[in-house]
Amino acid sequence: MKPLDPRLLRHTRGARRYILITATTGAVTAALVVAQALLIAHAVAPVIDGTAGWAHVATLLPALAAVVALRAGVLVVQESSAHRSATHVIAELREQVLTRTVELGPRWLAAEQGPAVVTLVTRGLDDLEPYFVRYLPQLLLAATVTPATLAVVLGLNLVAALTIAFTLPLIPVFMWLIGVLTQKFAAERLATMQRLGAQLMDLLAGLGTLKALGREQGPGARVGELGRAYTRTTMATLRVAFLSGAVLEFLSSIAVALVAVGIGTGLVYGRIDLVTGLAVLMLAPEVYRPIREVGAQFHASADGIAAAAQSFAVIEHPLPPRGTRPAPDLRQTDIVLDAVSVAAPGRATWAPWQLEARLRPGRVLALVGPSGAGKSTAASVVLGLLTPDDGAVRLVPATPAGDSPASAGVSLSDVDPASWWAQIAWVPQRPVIVPGTVRANVLGDAAAAVDDRARVAAHDTGFDEVLAQLPHGWDSVLGQGGVGLSLGQRQRLALTRALLGTHPLVVLDEPTAHLDARAEEHVLTAVDRLRAQGRTVLVIAHRQALIARADDVVTVRSRATDPADGDRPDAPRTTSTPSPTSASARAEPTP
Amino acid sequence: MSAPTRAPAHPSEAPTTTDPLARGLVPQEERSALRRSIRLLHIDRRRLLWAVLAGSAGLGSAVALTATAAWMIARASQMPDFGQLAVAAVAVRLFGTSRAVLRYLERLASHQVALEGMAALRESVYTTLASGRTDTVTTLRRGDLLARTGADVDSVGDVVVRALVPAAVAALVGLGSAVLVGWLNVGAGIVLAGCLLVAGVVGPALTIRSVRLSEHAQILARSELSATAMTMVDGAGELTVSGGVHGMLSELRRTEVALARAKDAGARPAALAAGIDTLAMGVAVLGSLLLGVPATIAGAMQPVELAVIVLTPLAAFEGTALLGPAAAQLVRSGGAALRIMRLLDNATSDRTTSGSAADGSAPTAQLSAVGVSVGWPGGPIVAHGIDLDVAPGRAIAVVGASGLGKTTVLLTLAGLLPPVSGQVTVGGRAAWGAPRPWVSRQVVLTAEDAHIFATTVLENLRVARGDVTPEEATDLLGRVELGPWLAALPQGLDTVLGSDATTISGGERRRLLLARALASRAQLLLLDEPGEHLDASTADRLVADLLRTAHESGAGPAGDEPRGLVLVTHRLAALGGADEVIVLGHAAAGGGPAPDQGGLRRPVTVVARGTHAELLASVPEYRWAAEQDSAPDV
Repeated sequence: MKPLDPRLLRHTRGARRYILITATTGAVTAALVVAQALLIAHAVAPVIDGTAGWAHVATLLPALAAVVALRAGVLVVQESSAHRSATHVIAELREQVLTRTVELGPRWLAAEQGPAVVTLVTRGLDDLEPYFVRYLPQLLLAATVTPATLAVVLGLNLVAALTIAFTLPLIPVFMWLIGVLTQKFAAERLATMQRLGAQLMDLLAGLGTLKALGREQGPGARVGELGRAYTRTTMATLRVAFLSGAVLEFLSSIAVALVAVGIGTGLVYGRIDLVTGLAVLMLAPEVYRPIREVGAQFHASADGIAAAAQSFAVIEHPLPPRGTRPAPDLRQTDIVLDAVSVAAPGRATWAPWQLEARLRPGRVLALVGPSGAGKSTAASVVLGLLTPDDGAVRLVPATPAGDSPASAGVSLSDVDPASWWAQIAWVPQRPVIVPGTVRANVLGDAAAAVDDRARVAAHDTGFDEVLAQLPHGWDSVLGQGGVGLSLGQRQRLALTRALLGTHPLVVLDEPTAHLDARAEEHVLTAVDRLRAQGRTVLVIAHRQALIARADDVVTVRSRATDPADGDRPDAPRTTSTPSPTSASARAEPTP
Repeated sequence: MSAPTRAPAHPSEAPTTTDPLARGLVPQEERSALRRSIRLLHIDRRRLLWAVLAGSAGLGSAVALTATAAWMIARASQMPDFGQLAVAAVAVRLFGTSRAVLRYLERLASHQVALEGMAALRESVYTTLASGRTDTVTTLRRGDLLARTGADVDSVGDVVVRALVPAAVAALVGLGSAVLVGWLNVGAGIVLAGCLLVAGVVGPALTIRSVRLSEHAQILARSELSATAMTMVDGAGELTVSGGVHGMLSELRRTEVALARAKDAGARPAALAAGIDTLAMGVAVLGSLLLGVPATIAGAMQPVELAVIVLTPLAAFEGTALLGPAAAQLVRSGGAALRIMRLLDNATSDRTTSGSAADGSAPTAQLSAVGVSVGWPGGPIVAHGIDLDVAPGRAIAVVGASGLGKTTVLLTLAGLLPPVSGQVTVGGRAAWGAPRPWVSRQVVLTAEDAHIFATTVLENLRVARGDVTPEEATDLLGRVELGPWLAALPQGLDTVLGSDATTISGGERRRLLLARALASRAQLLLLDEPGEHLDASTADRLVADLLRTAHESGAGPAGDEPRGLVLVTHRLAALGGADEVIVLGHAAAGGGPAPDQGGLRRPVTVVARGTHAELLASVPEYRWAAEQDSAPDV
């Protein structure tokens, strides 16, 4: 683990600025620490020696007061800039992580666990605050104050400087030694500790279940027992873990003691004067102070560094290569799926497997098949969000049905995604509402007028019933701070938006949940209207009524990657319903 | 079933005040909660005292090291016989050593006190919840339960290590330093004491202010941030295609700006707090110089002592530096204590449900609901007008779209939630109010999110009944079609399942829970969505089999009597075997939208009831839905 990840400086402007400010305040602090020690020594020593009186001290006091005030001021500046920079850096990283997350797309999120990204950006990144406010400044002070004070001590007294220079490197050496010696022991203890902790939490998490079964009375004693066992193991771990902190404190304070005794001896034999002696005595602890603080804040910072590293893993995740050719006009282009296969993540299955389809302008094509067969995945491939693992999507100039294609066309992977997406409207199962008014969400512009066309579309999809319940109709604010829409209401909104748009291709994922007879009717009407507008529709259909409306029906199939491989391949671990197809493929190995 | 989990269990926990400091730095209720929860820690006073003494001696060593070294050096400059310095030299080395050793001992002692306290507090929270009001646990989200008994308990325990001990140590060492300096020069001692007091009071007060302000900002911003982040992550594909990502990013930036403004307000006192220690130390040094130099020149003080009173303040402020973090901990622990105490108060209010199951007579298990309205405590009514009767030999299915409140109905029937109005009785006694052990001998509920414990398969079944034999377990698992699964497990019934069953699939988990319900002695089983996460044909087969058990003798817990069953489901295809199907929905009321999850909701009620065949014949919506379910997968 690096104490300062160079990627932090590369990716965030806030961090670069902060390092500059903190390095400056660190240098100023170093100068002020030295000045304070010298001023005090010069003020006190002559009085003790009896060589100077109040007049001498009085000339130094204003300077000392100024140094003290400046030190406090520099600290305030440093601390506020630390807080501000932490806020900025966290915001910068959050935006970059989310932007890259969206670019990487749903398949990456499914494989990399979307919830982890949400936790990272909402909570994990907050760990950077203690890192910025407490750890980094001390790290930079260790790089400025420690060498500066050591250099001054060297200029004042060689013996004291040598004492410090010898003990200073002992700190990392001893901490490393202790780390190595206790590692095995600590790892074992830590494992026991975590196991006990997990058992305890498991018991607590099941309380509701035990209550429902009337068995809640037993485990109380067990909770206490586990708690005490946990305490014992943790104490055994701490006895070792605190050793390194103790060694750090021991070395720094014994070194100061040795320096003091050395100076005392030097003074007795008249080798040094009192000013030097007092200055060295005050400077010696300052050499160690930043290092002690770095050690103390180390663990607080580790979480922050880990969160930053996680962010960089997302931000620096390479994007799949993208095409550059402008997309052909979809109103005159057939979309041809050529033996498209996609490996399902986490399942030993191809879904879809060898999908063949031809989507012609102005026609409605329904993808059907059991759940888990890869219908949504096939739609993602057409949308250009996913590159097939095998086969290809080709765009060829439209031919009347039945004619052989005039040319091979271009591959979708060579097409510039932006120009492709500009021609597509997508109505997914769980449509997104962008915070803003209904008007902005449906019509794409907060100032667009609601004309008859919009009203008819809203009526066709049943969205007018939703509008009637909203406090300000088309101008109701949706999303954060505004009204929340249920899933069914969001689906109607998205359908209305698709009807009102002019995108030549509409991809529609028929809702499976919360659908009743009326909602089904709305979907059917919407498909009819889209066909009447001459638009191409790709629909993932689950119900007979919708399948009957389609011009072309294509069945999507999945296939286990290696059907001969045992009778119990890795079953899907997700909550998705296992597909009957893949189940039968497992049960009956095809030769 | 997402509606009830979304309902706030304790609405008062929501951030309501706009000014986080309106009720003072540490509000009264937080203080009293903290006091009460610290009492529950059962702190070992002798060990705590030892921790404070060791800590004070350790930090005192640091001050003594500086003071002795200053004296020694000043004395040495007068070139006395070296022997005169020998004692001081030994003392300096001793203080250099003792500091680290004592600090190590203090950390061990205070951590021991804290850990033992956490264990004690955790046990009392658990036992209070276990024997307290049932709905306290029922309405608590699992994450919240774990947060209360985990992180919050730890946070209250931390108050010992991070707030109480450092505060006592800082006070003792500060007092000691001031007395030492005051002994040499009264004025300088008073100045030092004043500066220590300012650093020790104003600094922490500013820190608390800062923590409160920024915590408030965090709470406000976090919900918006997580909503935006969730939307971007869930809707990544759609936002990419539609170009809506720019709108989301500008929304994100707006939130960040508001968050930054609120955080800056919190950072200002934190920055001042950082400066105040240094400033106070400087003032103390200047004061010692101003008062000590004239005193030395006048001969009222030994010249050597001047070095001591000027240099000692440089080390004396290490204790007050610990108080800032201690104050921040106090705020965190106060919040945690408040949450824990609210939960415990809630659990022990009204009545307790602990009691003996010793009511020896075996009553007829008969569950009936008359005119029942259900809802989450403190929330709106979710469903009303529920009437039903179930006894051994009878099976009832409750159906309706997801999110309508079917789960809330089941929880109320099981006596785990109080009915908002109406009567739920078990064997003639009110289900809510009768002793839990008695109720749960008649009726058990298997919730959708029931817990699978991180133990063996067999022990997980024994959660329902302690004496399940391996043979019985194998039979039960076979009945729920987990036979092949069991056969494939490496150690069969003795296979340890992962924590909360992360290593078994959703469908397997669901069936294991079902087997557990079947293992229980209760004659009435309430089952929430037993077919969820299974493919349609398996789910329907399982539901049909369950419905049969209600009517077959020999299927009951004692092997000789039938069972009563209430099962909640959203699939209708297999309900031919139910004695009655109760359809929940919104009563037809002019022109409203079809029932939707969330959003604008009104309570549901029984819109139709009868046998499967009757409903197919008379209710078109039911027929439509049943057709969707029984249509073969296309």
